[in-house]
Amino acid sequence: MTLIEAILARASGRETVKPGDVVVANVDRMIMHDLSGYVTSKVFDEKVGLPIANPDRIVMVFDHLFSPPSETEAEVLQADRAWARKHGINLLDCGNGNIHNAVVHNGFIGPGMVVVGSDSHTPVHGAMGAFAVALGNDSHAGTVLPYSKAWFKVPETIRIDLHGTLQPGTTPRDVALWLVSQIGEGGAIYKAIELGGPLVEEMSLFDRWLLTLITVDLGAKCGYVDPDEKVFKFAREHNAMQAWDEMEVSPVSERKYEKRLEFDVSDLAPQVACSPTVGNVKTVDKVAGTTIQYAELGGHAGGRIEDLRVAAEVFKGKRVHPEVCLNIVPSSRVAFAQALEEGIVAQLHEAGAMWFPPSTGSNQAVNMGAMAAGDAMISTHSRNFPSRNGSIDAAMYLASSHTVSASAIAGCITDIREVL
Amino acid sequence: MSKSENKLGGSCLKVGDDINSDVIIPGRYLISIDPVELAKHAFEPLGEEFQKKLKTTKVIVAGRNFGCGSAREQAASCLIGGGVQVVVAESFARVFYRNAINTGLTIVESPEAVKAVKDGDELYVDTQAGTLETGGKTYSFPPYPESLQHILRAGGLIPYVAEKIKQEQSK
Repeated sequence: MTLIEAILARASGRETVKPGDVVVANVDRMIMHDLSGYVTSKVFDEKVGLPIANPDRIVMVFDHLFSPPSETEAEVLQADRAWARKHGINLLDCGNGNIHNAVVHNGFIGPGMVVVGSDSHTPVHGAMGAFAVALGNDSHAGTVLPYSKAWFKVPETIRIDLHGTLQPGTTPRDVALWLVSQIGEGGAIYKAIELGGPLVEEMSLFDRWLLTLITVDLGAKCGYVDPDEKVFKFAREHNAMQAWDEMEVSPVSERKYEKRLEFDVSDLAPQVACSPTVGNVKTVDKVAGTTIQYAELGGHAGGRIEDLRVAAEVFKGKRVHPEVCLNIVPSSRVAFAQALEEGIVAQLHEAGAMWFPPSTGSNQAVNMGAMAAGDAMISTHSRNFPSRNGSIDAAMYLASSHTVSASAIAGCITDIREVL
Repeated sequence: MSKSENKLGGSCLKVGDDINSDVIIPGRYLISIDPVELAKHAFEPLGEEFQKKLKTTKVIVAGRNFGCGSAREQAASCLIGGGVQVVVAESFARVFYRNAINTGLTIVESPEAVKAVKDGDELYVDTQAGTLETGGKTYSFPPYPESLQHILRAGGLIPYVAEKIKQEQSK
């Protein structure tokens, strides 16, 4: 069995499972943000009206709203807080960071867990060796909250092996965006994507995170990397090893895959996903020179301490372009604290950047990040669909923290390799 | 149940490939769970002309990967609120598929039918028989697994679980 099959077997009390089986699995963790949590809580109270079976397994993170801009949003947070307290679930209030980073850094995610969430990027937690899947509110309200269970069809698995050494200026984020262009949006609908090979093995946990993050944009049910000592070390330090039983995970050579893909990414150039979709990926030279008004390091795929360090490096002796707003949104309190300690906060502040509280930043422009017609932003965010950030005629470009930083300095989309 | 009671459908409206959940229901309306309220904003990014046509539409016909993007259930429920009975697509994004079943919206994968249909054509599906009729032709699709048919027939996952628990308690 693959890792995912082994987790689903454990969680459904079976010896083995195979692709196509429909199982009812015990859910170890359910995560929601302020907006999806608001909807789920309403559905749960109005249509289900039962107690929550295991409130300690449920986490709500306020990340879209970090400071309510109007009475309506304040009422959403007020209702969320009251609901969280009534049921005794875990609540990470405003300023704790992006939902996925916040739950990981607070020890809520560990290898071997079944993790569900109403944010579509929940599969990112496969980097921790979890079976992590996005569900809708009705699954959460109907079966997860009252019974700690959810139904799953065991997916077929596609194995992707990555080889080679990345060129300077090309990062795991570029590999992730490029994979979307290779496999296609919806190119792996319903599948599990297992990522491995020498390049993935070398990567840090939070670089692998950038790869599992985009599996949803391939249409996949989940993505994952077999957990290794790097993951176990992080999980032990965060007290998150409880689900890692003696699971029957087979060696790679004995696993059954629907197909195997091998890529050597040694020659890969930095990549940019251009409006209108995540799959519209181009090499940076095709869009270099495009004027931008906004740049942002933040969201699911940015604002990690790794990204803030990259910005500090690229910005050495340089300033934000006078016609660009550079938003920096740490993905967790840990990342911000570390940036403070390393002098990165002061350096980038003096370079003209704006620091925002740990949150999900301009994702969907709920609390920040709306644009007018004709505006353009380059960011480390995960989505670029039109009208997601204000005007339907504004453009969002998705890139690595290297490319975002270099572009914020130049005032236009810039090939980092030309300024390294 | 007679055969006609299984039939759903009516007038069609076509959209393209990779229609994402921000197009189906923009994120700013997500604090509502009222399907009728949400329906007012369904497909808003496609313009008023499209939304006007949507009012008389029973069947959305889409290309591949319909419903990709966010996991929002409202992408399915806003269509129900707007009177849409069926979505026929070449393929569906996984979370949309799950959300549609959980909210009680009938969805059918049929690349052949998608190619054959034009805006305004009539299309009917019979989920138990696994057939789809349009333009005088009948297409077949694999019927839903039994377990999913039960959920759809109950009107979604929550009513289904409630019914099941009630049955078990009365045993």
